[in-house]
Amino acid sequence: MSSTGATVDERIKETSKLRKALIRPELGAIVGTIAVFLFFIIFAGDSGMFNAQGVMNWSTVSAQFVIIAVGACMLMIAGEFDLSVGSMIGFAGMSIAIFSVTLGWPVWFAILLTFAICIAIGALNGVIVVRTGLPSFIVTLAFLFILRGFTIFFPQLIERRTIIGGIAERAAGDWLAPVFGGKVGGFFFDWLASQGLIAVFERGTRAGEPIVNGIPMLIVWALGLMIVAHIVLTRTRFGNWVFAAGGDAQAARYVGVPVARVKILMFMFTAFCATVFATCQVMEFGSAGADRGLLKEFEAIIAVVIGGALLTGGYGSVIGAALGALIFGVVQQGLFFAGVESSLFRVFLGVILLFAVILNTYIRRIITGER
Amino acid sequence: MSSFDHNPIVEMRNIEKHFGPVIALNGVSFDIRPGECHCLLGDNGAGKSTFIKTMSGVHKPTRGDIFFEGQRMDFASPRDAMEAGIATVYQDLAMIPLMSVTRNFWMGREPIKRVGPFSFMDFSKANDVTMEEMRKMGINLRSPDQAVGTLSGGERQTVAIARAVYFGAKVLILDEPTSALGVRQTANVLATIDKVRKAGIGVVFITHNVRHAMAVGDRFTVLNRGKTLGTAQRGQITPEELQDLMAGGQELVALEGSLGGTV
Amino acid sequence: MKATLKTLAISAVAASAMMSGTAALAEGERYILVSHAPDSDSWWNTIKNGLALAGEQMDVTVEYRNPPTGDLADMARIIEQAAASNPNGIITTLADPDVLSGPISAAVDAGIDVIIINSGTPDQARALGALMYVGQPEYDAGFAAGQRAAGDGVTSFLCVNHYISSPSSTERCQGFADGLGIDLGNQMIDSGQDPSEIQNRVMAYLNANPDTDAVLTLGPTSADPTILALQQMGLAGDIYFGTFDLGGDIVQAIRDGVIQWGIDQQPFLQAYLPVIVLTNYHRFGVLPGNNINSGPGFVTADALDLVAELAGEYR
Repeated sequence: MSSTGATVDERIKETSKLRKALIRPELGAIVGTIAVFLFFIIFAGDSGMFNAQGVMNWSTVSAQFVIIAVGACMLMIAGEFDLSVGSMIGFAGMSIAIFSVTLGWPVWFAILLTFAICIAIGALNGVIVVRTGLPSFIVTLAFLFILRGFTIFFPQLIERRTIIGGIAERAAGDWLAPVFGGKVGGFFFDWLASQGLIAVFERGTRAGEPIVNGIPMLIVWALGLMIVAHIVLTRTRFGNWVFAAGGDAQAARYVGVPVARVKILMFMFTAFCATVFATCQVMEFGSAGADRGLLKEFEAIIAVVIGGALLTGGYGSVIGAALGALIFGVVQQGLFFAGVESSLFRVFLGVILLFAVILNTYIRRIITGER
Repeated sequence: MSSFDHNPIVEMRNIEKHFGPVIALNGVSFDIRPGECHCLLGDNGAGKSTFIKTMSGVHKPTRGDIFFEGQRMDFASPRDAMEAGIATVYQDLAMIPLMSVTRNFWMGREPIKRVGPFSFMDFSKANDVTMEEMRKMGINLRSPDQAVGTLSGGERQTVAIARAVYFGAKVLILDEPTSALGVRQTANVLATIDKVRKAGIGVVFITHNVRHAMAVGDRFTVLNRGKTLGTAQRGQITPEELQDLMAGGQELVALEGSLGGTV
Repeated sequence: MKATLKTLAISAVAASAMMSGTAALAEGERYILVSHAPDSDSWWNTIKNGLALAGEQMDVTVEYRNPPTGDLADMARIIEQAAASNPNGIITTLADPDVLSGPISAAVDAGIDVIIINSGTPDQARALGALMYVGQPEYDAGFAAGQRAAGDGVTSFLCVNHYISSPSSTERCQGFADGLGIDLGNQMIDSGQDPSEIQNRVMAYLNANPDTDAVLTLGPTSADPTILALQQMGLAGDIYFGTFDLGGDIVQAIRDGVIQWGIDQQPFLQAYLPVIVLTNYHRFGVLPGNNINSGPGFVTADALDLVAELAGEYR
């Protein structure tokens, strides 16, 4: 390393363009994505996985992972974890259901209030972590239990059951609900169907309509969050502070980066993402259950780690995390199309995780000069 | 060197700092003038770290006064001290190795480019300035995207020093910048200190290595057990005398006796 | 395979159209069973085995899918995915109609035959356009049990309801009362879930109503403490005792003569029969005219050896 003098420069410059293009935090995730798609094209290419319905299926599942992975990624780069994401999803969904169905408030108000409450809880997570200096792992683990407990307790107390339905009827005609539960681009799919490019329903009330009739807002949210987070992280002053806060909080503080504020904001952003996830789910399915979002925090963290982020913070990529989420979603749904026994899903996932992390560590060492 | 014609930029008078029952600093006086390198020497635990943290606004002194350009100052935070022009380069906290040189260089003071209602970090400006400032310090970077972790220890210190100088530091505090470096890299850092001094910046060079201090120092102050043992000018003191002062002279002998020769 | 790769390279949309066409030409019927149970729930092993056996016997491809954590939203995705793979039929539970009715009716509309099993009701299955419902309608099971008890001379009973917030629990008690031909009245108690509370409430009720002929419990949660309560009161083996579902203590109590019968909803049939029904429907166009009740199957001391032998496998 000490030989990186002026004389070596010219020799390194020869390969720098290719290296620069290849050696990036997302490389592991890009390689993984290509490998996973090749695998499924070979083993499940004619199973329906790549027809319109199949594509929509794994895209939707992946989009769910993307939404929470983007939040988890930003927070992890800022040097913290949030294990309460899964419970937050259940809590937010139940909160919307109780406000709109049980209390009869307008759905838009229920959604906005839920966002406010959940982001406030995210801020509370952050404030506790920053003020006490406790590991975020422990603090958010506490909230994992607290939020899940409330998610079971309140509906049981009020409605004497743990699943609250009927939100779809309440949401009909609401102006905000379609932003989360709606679909866009229907005309395009109508056109595809009229050209015979995608299948149509053969019977029932929707006979003749295309089987896929639009892109769910879930996917739009996932893409939007990914793009915004990527730009903020790589192109703005705040993004630099996020890296700095996670890379070395003390060093960042010494040069005047408001580390506490950055971390708290990232906790709030993670909570925001979890609430988006929950709202989309509740608006699509029309009900909230106390067991929604179970283990989602780990799925988000796995996607982020596959995407090349460093568990200890200061390094990572939103695009990588989104690709990690795509890998996760495609594998989870694709194994089914490939006819693999579903209990082997975890084996497959473990292998991918291990492979990706080893590759990522290797790449990161090249980039950052770690030894 | 005409450093003594100037008034001090920073003057610390009878600084005391207590942490509960522990007295870390017990009446330390120190000053730094433009264009000089003032070496602060002392063994581990002598109070060097506490002292520079007091100077850079991390700690508030329990007693004593800090004057900045003749005015009495109370720094509420490192940010205040930094804005006044006191920059500190910490031994191990100088840089974030995972981040690129540019990101490190501009950390906390990123240049902004506005596009409509949005403000972005101006990377083309940031990269150009970083490359240029590093070139001035004698380091040719492969690319401004290069992670700091790929630089050698001496180069990292140089990035931190170049950053402080670029952002208008009047006083540069270097906390043991040479302690973990090899011979060649130490020479590079000492050469950088010399460049900075010639630019009219006051350098506070903390070290426990007398040879490094003698190489660039204009004045030498020795700290021992929370007290200054006096300030000497270049040429008025030999390396051996400095070494003795740092070790605590008579005190060490007395201590040795009381512990029954176990030290 | 080569063709697939090539097509994909040209256009994903065109490829998808092509493949949805080829899928229908696949040989051998393919059926997918989707359950709501998490991986950890061993009760569903019986379902898996029943499914595999039916697939083997009918020479069709069968697949079992479930959300690993039991998350019903994930289950909805699995049903959508099952529909996308264009199988001949989908067999699914209806654990939460709000969440699942959308994907299920979309599958039905896409031309896939669906049978609802286990959770849900015949009415809900009909509303979604499913071919039939295979399971144990709770009211009917209670009613059959009531008729059986009436035949044994029972005229009054205590229903120990440990899950009063669930409508199906109440239906079991109501059916039992109707089967006996008596009014349910206040013969159903809300016992809660705590074993010692259940035990004490049963004792309190039986002390207050000494002429009670029979006890009905709704599963191991309420049956096990009730067995203890009866033993303490010296009524074990004396009072008529029936229960829903089976469990270790229940089987032992049946063997000891404390419990007269246990109602088994026979999950094996819930997986096995739909495959048989769907295959014959697709091959010969024949379909039973009504829903199929997989239960109640009454387990008494006589049939206990077979149950014990096959427990966890087919029973």
